[in-house]
Amino acid sequence: MSLQTPRILPSHLHAFHPNTANGPRSTNTVRLLGTVTSLRGDTATITCGNHGDVTMLLKPDAHLQMGRLVEVLGKVVDLEGGGGIGLRLLANYDWGNPADCDYKIYEKLVDVTHRYPQIFYDTGDAY
Amino acid sequence: MDGGYNSGYGGSSFGGGGGGGGFMPGEMSASPAGGKGEMNNNTLRPVTVKQILDASQPFPEASFQIDGADTSSIVFIGQVRNISSQTTNVTYKIDDGTGEIEAKQWIDSATADTMDTDDGKGPGVPGKDQIELNGYAKVFGKLKTFGNKRFVGAHCVRPVKNINELHCHLLEATAVHLFFTRGPPGGAAGAGAGGIAGAVGDASMGGADDYSADRSLPAMSPVARKVYSLLRTEPQSNEGLHCQLIASKLGLPPADVARAGEELLGTGVIFSTVDEQTWAILQL
Repeated sequence: MSLQTPRILPSHLHAFHPNTANGPRSTNTVRLLGTVTSLRGDTATITCGNHGDVTMLLKPDAHLQMGRLVEVLGKVVDLEGGGGIGLRLLANYDWGNPADCDYKIYEKLVDVTHRYPQIFYDTGDAY
Repeated sequence: MDGGYNSGYGGSSFGGGGGGGGFMPGEMSASPAGGKGEMNNNTLRPVTVKQILDASQPFPEASFQIDGADTSSIVFIGQVRNISSQTTNVTYKIDDGTGEIEAKQWIDSATADTMDTDDGKGPGVPGKDQIELNGYAKVFGKLKTFGNKRFVGAHCVRPVKNINELHCHLLEATAVHLFFTRGPPGGAAGAGAGGIAGAVGDASMGGADDYSADRSLPAMSPVARKVYSLLRTEPQSNEGLHCQLIASKLGLPPADVARAGEELLGTGVIFSTVDEQTWAILQL
């Protein structure tokens, strides 16, 4: 089975944490959609609509631009220094101007993918 | 629904129907036996890659089925993970986050070198329709197998530049999936509301059972559907519910409820208990 990467919102991050109480997921690689709001060398923050921010650990060759809408693919990890849960960035795709995206559609999509996982993700475990 | 998909299909660079556009003749000779059946099912279905991988084939050479419905033409959107150009075809590896599949687009040598059509252009042809590695692409095609490998014979591959198109496609795929597994949405306030905006419990087997029960029901008016669904869900004794009580719970005129009740009694899905105006679901 090829790698599946569920589309989620920041509030779902904990469910994909490797040591989550719900038992291990088939994957802890997820997709998030947000606007790049800060870049600090090896970390960056994206703002996901009005669902809050997510801090990402970057690889040296990662290419992100401030103020752009990005779809990111990453592994859910603990941030150093008790900073909560973040994402180790594996890949990102630049969708351009955040104004061109209706974030509400994405919210609905995330809802639908979790409601009807049978056509999106192999589950076996709790969705 | 079909009308919408068909118009989208016709509008995208290959003329609607079997207009003899290069691909169709080859298609016919490839599967002479299945040709006729396929001609009857030209519906373009939006799907996810996982659905393609999960599609079943009752026997070799049979048409594929998704959610029990014959599916030949499909459309999906994903990220292009690999592009491999051969002399006769271009193979794209497409990943939409639910799985990965190869799409093969045959290069039509007759149109490849003319500038005024987009048909048969492979990558490397500069222009607005160039497919980029790791970019998103929308693939229109037919599901096929070669050996044990499943792939999509692509009619048309074009880049997706607007993220809303991606998200809407996935929602559309869900809507069509629900159409085939649960039947068409019922009355506006009935099954329709239970569809996407319904409770989380909907996704459970119980929810699905409710809908399959709905599907076996005879055609009925929207009011009758509401009455039936209330009778099914409302806690009640084995005497069922009185017509007046149903009317007040649904906020409908008693006369309408009485008429709906007669309709349901007529089709035999409910029965009257202690008196003529008290009804219960007829459990089979």
